[in-house]
Amino acid sequence: MAISAATKAATDALAVNRAPVSVGAQEVHRWMQSFTWDFEKNRTKYSTKYKMANDTKEQFKLIAKEYARMESVKDERQFGSLQDVLTRVDAANRVHPKWNESMKVISNFLEVGEYNAIAATGMLWDSATAPEQKNGYLGQVLDEIRHTNQCGYINYYFAKQGQDAAGHNDARRTRAIGPLWKGMKRVFSDGFISGDAVECSINLQLVGEACFTNPLIVAVTEWASANGDEMTPTVFLSIETDELRHMANGYQTVVSIANDEASSKYLNTDLNNAFWTQQKYFTPVLGMMFEYGSHFKVEPWVKTWNRWVYEDWGGIWIGRLGKYGVQSPASLRDAKKDAYWAHHDLFLIAYALWPTGFFRLTLPTAEEAEWYETNYPGWYDMYGKVYEEWRARGCEDPNSGFLPLQWFIENNHPIYIDRVSQVPFCPSYCKGASNLRVLEYNGKKHSFSDQWGERMWLSEPERYECQNIWEQYEGRELSEVIAEGHGVRSDGKTLISQPHTNKDGKLWTLDDIKKIGCVFADPLKAL
Amino acid sequence: MANIHDNPTRDEWVRKIAGLKTLAEGHTFLKDFRAKHVSVFKTDFSLELDWLWIELKIEEKVAVLKQAEFNDTQLLNNCTCGAEAKKVAADAVAAMEACTDMYEAERIHINFRLACKPPVMPVNFFLDTDRQLGTKLMELRNTDYYALPLEELRKVRGVKVITLQ
Repeated sequence: MAISAATKAATDALAVNRAPVSVGAQEVHRWMQSFTWDFEKNRTKYSTKYKMANDTKEQFKLIAKEYARMESVKDERQFGSLQDVLTRVDAANRVHPKWNESMKVISNFLEVGEYNAIAATGMLWDSATAPEQKNGYLGQVLDEIRHTNQCGYINYYFAKQGQDAAGHNDARRTRAIGPLWKGMKRVFSDGFISGDAVECSINLQLVGEACFTNPLIVAVTEWASANGDEMTPTVFLSIETDELRHMANGYQTVVSIANDEASSKYLNTDLNNAFWTQQKYFTPVLGMMFEYGSHFKVEPWVKTWNRWVYEDWGGIWIGRLGKYGVQSPASLRDAKKDAYWAHHDLFLIAYALWPTGFFRLTLPTAEEAEWYETNYPGWYDMYGKVYEEWRARGCEDPNSGFLPLQWFIENNHPIYIDRVSQVPFCPSYCKGASNLRVLEYNGKKHSFSDQWGERMWLSEPERYECQNIWEQYEGRELSEVIAEGHGVRSDGKTLISQPHTNKDGKLWTLDDIKKIGCVFADPLKAL
Repeated sequence: MANIHDNPTRDEWVRKIAGLKTLAEGHTFLKDFRAKHVSVFKTDFSLELDWLWIELKIEEKVAVLKQAEFNDTQLLNNCTCGAEAKKVAADAVAAMEACTDMYEAERIHINFRLACKPPVMPVNFFLDTDRQLGTKLMELRNTDYYALPLEELRKVRGVKVITLQ
C-alpha cells in the first residue's frame, strides 16, 4: 500500500535519528540546569544576615519523578508491613506498656517537628538563589510532608491496634498544660522557623538533623525493638533514609555562605545558639524517654549521647566543616556535663507533674534502680530513695491522697521554668548543671538555668515573651486546670495521664486530684 | 466558671470593641492598646493572660471597619490612619539604615510593629519593610555577640538582678 509523502518523510527522518524511548533521570537533571534560571536577582521574603551563593551544588540531584518513584516504594513496604503482617501478629499489643507510653510522646512530638520542617525548608527554598540548592530544599519539603504523615500514622496505628489509646489519639489537646510541650515547641517550632532563615537551617539541618537525628530516629528504633515494638523501627527507619538528604542540605547551606563576609561574623554564634537551643531540650528529654520510658535497657543514654553528639557530630561532622570556618560550639562542653544527669533531674520533675501530661509514667522497679546505680553511680542517694518514699506514700494509688508535687512543696524545692528553653528545673534538688538566675525586666521576672540561655534572652528578650504554666495558672486548683486543659479521657473524669502502667491498677480521676487540694503557685512571686 | 479562655476580662473587652463604629476610632483604640499592653515595652501588666486574644479581636474589628471605609486603592496604599504606607515604610527603613546601635535598632523595629502591624499597614508594604528592619537588627545584634561579659550585658539591657546562684 502506498504511503503518504508526510509519513515517508517522518519514517526516513526516524531512520536517521531515532527518537529516544527513555531518558535517564540524571540526564534530565543536567538538562534542567541548562535553563539557567536567574534567581540571583530574586530577593527572599525572609530576613537573613547571609547571602547564599548563586552557584551552589546539590549532592543528590534527584528530580521529582525519580524521587516520587523511590518514596512510593518505601511507602508500600512500610504500610504493607504495618497493615498486613504486623497487624496479623498483633504486634501493637506485644509492646511493653512502658514503651507504649513513650511512643505517645516521641511520635506526637516528632510530628510537630516534621510539620514545622515543611515550613522551614520552604523558607530555605525561598531564600536560596542557586537552582540546584533550591532543588535540594524542595526534595526536603516533600520528605517532611511524608514524615508528618508517618508520625501521625504511627500514633493512629497504636491507638487503633494497641493498648491504651488515650494520648496516642489526641495528645495535642493537653498542649496548654503539659510541661514538656512548650520546650518542644521552642526547639521544633521557634528554632526551625523563626528569625534568620540561615539560622533556621542551622537549627534544623546542621543541629536538629545532623546531630540529634541519630539519637532521636535511629536510637529510638533500638529501644523500641528491645521493648517489643516492631512498628516504630518499620516507620522510623523509613524516615531515616530521607534524613541523609537533609544533612546534605545543611552541609550545602554552609557551603553556600562560606564565601560570604557575613559568615565569618555570625556563623559560629548562630551555630552555638542553635546547638544550645536544641540540646537543652533533646538531651534531657530523649534520655528520659529512653531510660525511664522503657523496661528493657539498651545502653546508658550518656554513652549514646557521647558517641553521636560529642564525637560523631561535634568532632567529625563539624570537623569536616572546619575548612569553611565552622567551629565546634563553645557550649558543647557544658552540654556534655549535662548529658550525665539532666534526664534524671527531668524525670523527677516530670513524675511530680504527671497529672498535667498525656502519657503514663512509671517509677523505676528495683531491677531498674540497680541498672541506674550501676551506670550512674550516686543515682540511688539522689533519686532512688525519693522514689522509694513516693511509692511508700502511695503515689500510684488514687486513694492515697498523695501527689509527688507535694514532696517538692513540703521540702521547699521550688520548680522553676527556664524562660528560654521552657524546660522545668529544680535548682535546689538536682545533680545536673542547672543554676538559678532570676532577672527582672520592665516589671516582669524571668528565670533561667544557664549562662547560654540567659545571654540569648538578654540579646533578644522579645523573642521569649510568653507565660509558663505557673504564670498561666497561678492560684488555680490542679483538677480545675486539668479539666480546663482537656487532660481527661472520653468519660470526662479519668485523667489521660496516670502515675503507673499497671493494667489492673486503679486510674486517677479529677475527684481524686480535687480531694488533695493542690494549688498552682508561681515560684517567681516568692522572690 | 471563669477560665483562661472565657472570662469576665475578655467579655468586657469584647463589649468595648463592639462599641467601635468608625475606622478612625478603631485605629486609635488599637494603637493605644498596643502601646499599653503589647511588647516587652508594655506599661500595663494587668492583661498578661489576655492581651494577645484581645489584640486579635481589635484587629479583626479594625479590618472590618477598614474594608467598609476604604476603596481598593486605599486598601493597597494607605495605613488605617490615612497615612501613605510607602512613606511610612520608607521612613522606618531610613531610620534603621542610619542606626548603628542594636538597642536603638530594636526600638525602631518593635515600635514599627506596634504602630504598623496589619491591619494598620497593608501587608504588601508591611512584610517587606519588616524583613528589611529585621535583617539590619539581626546584623547589629549578632556582631561581637560575646563581646560583653554577662554582668555588663545585664547592665546595658537594664535588668534588675533578683538572684544569681
